[in-house]
Amino acid sequence: MSEIDVSDIQGFALKGYNFPFARYLLLELLHPEAAQRFVGQILQYLTTGERWDEKPTITVNIAFTHKGLVQLELPEPTLLSFPVEFQQGMKARGQILYDTGKNGPEHWEPAWRDNRVHVWLAVNAQTPVALDEQCDLLLRIMDQTSGAKLLQAQDACAVFIDGKPTPKEHFGYTDGFGNPDFKGAERDCVPGQGKLTKNGTWEALATGEFLLGYADEAGELPVAPIPHLLARNGTFMVYRKMHQNVATFRTFLEEQGRLYPGGKEKLASKFVGRWRDGTPVELSPDHMDAALVADKNRNTNFTYGKDLNGLRCPVGAHIRRGNPRDALGFNGELVNRRRIMRRGLPYGKYVPEGQPVRDEDEHGIIFMALNASLFRQFEFVQQQWIEYGNDLHQGNDKDLVIGNHGGKGKCVLQGTTDPQNPPFICANLPRFVELRGGDYFFMPSLTALQMMASGTVDPR
Amino acid sequence: MANQSGRIYGLTILSPILQSDTIDISHATALRWYLASLPRDHTSPFARVSSTHFARLVVMDDVVFVGAPACEEHLKSRYLVFETNFDGDLDIYLTRMAREIPDFVDSVWKHCVGYPGVADPAAFAAYMKKCQIETTFFFADVNDKTVQQTLKALQLQSALAHFIEKHQGKPAAEIQNSFLVLLDRLAKVPAPLPGGIDSEKTAAEDRPHE
Repeated sequence: MSEIDVSDIQGFALKGYNFPFARYLLLELLHPEAAQRFVGQILQYLTTGERWDEKPTITVNIAFTHKGLVQLELPEPTLLSFPVEFQQGMKARGQILYDTGKNGPEHWEPAWRDNRVHVWLAVNAQTPVALDEQCDLLLRIMDQTSGAKLLQAQDACAVFIDGKPTPKEHFGYTDGFGNPDFKGAERDCVPGQGKLTKNGTWEALATGEFLLGYADEAGELPVAPIPHLLARNGTFMVYRKMHQNVATFRTFLEEQGRLYPGGKEKLASKFVGRWRDGTPVELSPDHMDAALVADKNRNTNFTYGKDLNGLRCPVGAHIRRGNPRDALGFNGELVNRRRIMRRGLPYGKYVPEGQPVRDEDEHGIIFMALNASLFRQFEFVQQQWIEYGNDLHQGNDKDLVIGNHGGKGKCVLQGTTDPQNPPFICANLPRFVELRGGDYFFMPSLTALQMMASGTVDPR
Repeated sequence: MANQSGRIYGLTILSPILQSDTIDISHATALRWYLASLPRDHTSPFARVSSTHFARLVVMDDVVFVGAPACEEHLKSRYLVFETNFDGDLDIYLTRMAREIPDFVDSVWKHCVGYPGVADPAAFAAYMKKCQIETTFFFADVNDKTVQQTLKALQLQSALAHFIEKHQGKPAAEIQNSFLVLLDRLAKVPAPLPGGIDSEKTAAEDRPHE
């Protein structure tokens, strides 16, 4: 496949916008006809995947929960043809995802807990003023069409340091390195970001791993709703609001860092597989390396095949769990159908290290991931690699940073006989991250949205 | 060698299930219900045959026709499929089944054609071997260690992780002293009982150095 029709695909599905400000308008759709009018009106503002000559000041994108599609009165055969996990929604998948205990729906924000969100309407912006203006316009359309009601406006914003937006998150890590390359996407394949080939080079993954209507890595079309035209160029998105217990994390890192012979920053690097400045531990286990971080041909270009015992990057480090690359053998082929396209931004006020901070303050990350199959990609990664460790020979240890621990978890950081790199065990892990809500969304193509707006989705 | 992977024996049994037109509930259905009611934790009957790594019982109605170009075929009978991976010799294992879980064996195989009962363990073993087919695939997590070795290793791993977590960073002499105490206690503590290690229970209760 040579090209995809980028003007038919929502830009959010194709590229990370890298804008510092965002607002996710979480909507409830009202009367079906009015809701269709609303979708029709919104269409003209949507940002597609077309190449930008000049970066715009704002982008707009839209996605729907299954309940939203029901409210739009899509034909029943179409509604029933969506994958089961999407029909059920993220709340109902809680046992599979291990969203239990403190992460369970009873602790979610009301709109998510009560399954009321129909629409995710996202505005990304260069400035707060542009963000407000665009959101006001969209809210006016909601009013004029009487098609939707705002349940919640979730703001997100890059962490600003010295007045400049950074890719940092609240625990102090530089985030957002790389995403899987796939065929047809605009950008060139970056070493380390597609799939590993037998000769050690990297190439783009099959389009069908991230967009519906195209062959995937198995040479099959992903499970998709009917008609084909509704599905093609669309994708599925998971949205998770992840609250970060910043005080707990900092205290833990401080206390454990005093015990760890390599020191606090090195310990922090072992948790994630990157130093907090972003340096990959696998490439630079002993120190941060700003030049390496800045080099896009090197900062995601590594494998674990020569470090199966985790002596450089621990086997259970966060980025190694999320994408084990070749650590599971078979030249990395086992991960090619388990990749997710990550989007997301922090929310809440960033408190620099050393300043007083409280867990309960409103701060965290809006995690969004796109994939052709929520079941095969996101859910698998979450269940098997984040909340469990058997594939990685880590028993039932969970991801140290985002695992649902609740005070009992443990994490083994492998090491060597070098006194600066000893094995280390973290135990009695608290929950550093708590889930505050979210759901599964279908992000349709422009063609599909037109069909939805005009009531012409025809499954026959 | 088929049926044997290192020290582990893989047994696969296909026992034809009785057919009867005179009863309300077929043997296959009754057997399926019974199997569904069995516990899978440490109270599983196979926990008592303590050399069992893994065991599975399934009622197989027929081969499933998956559509052309496959040809449509059918079994002559319904079968009970019994698969188990265990340590040691087949005859010893079958004899242990007959002796240690006779009620369970009766409850299952009474639905099968030609079952001789368990009163004579040798007759039971002979019957089972008649139903045996070759095993070529084994439970992947069994790594040529016996059940007892595996349980002991898991206990050791848990105790050691806990020990490191408690003592890392302390002076070497103190660690060494505590480690000797740990070794001494570990040598005395019995291996956990078969039937599955509960990691939380292990962490809380099987910490021999506390």
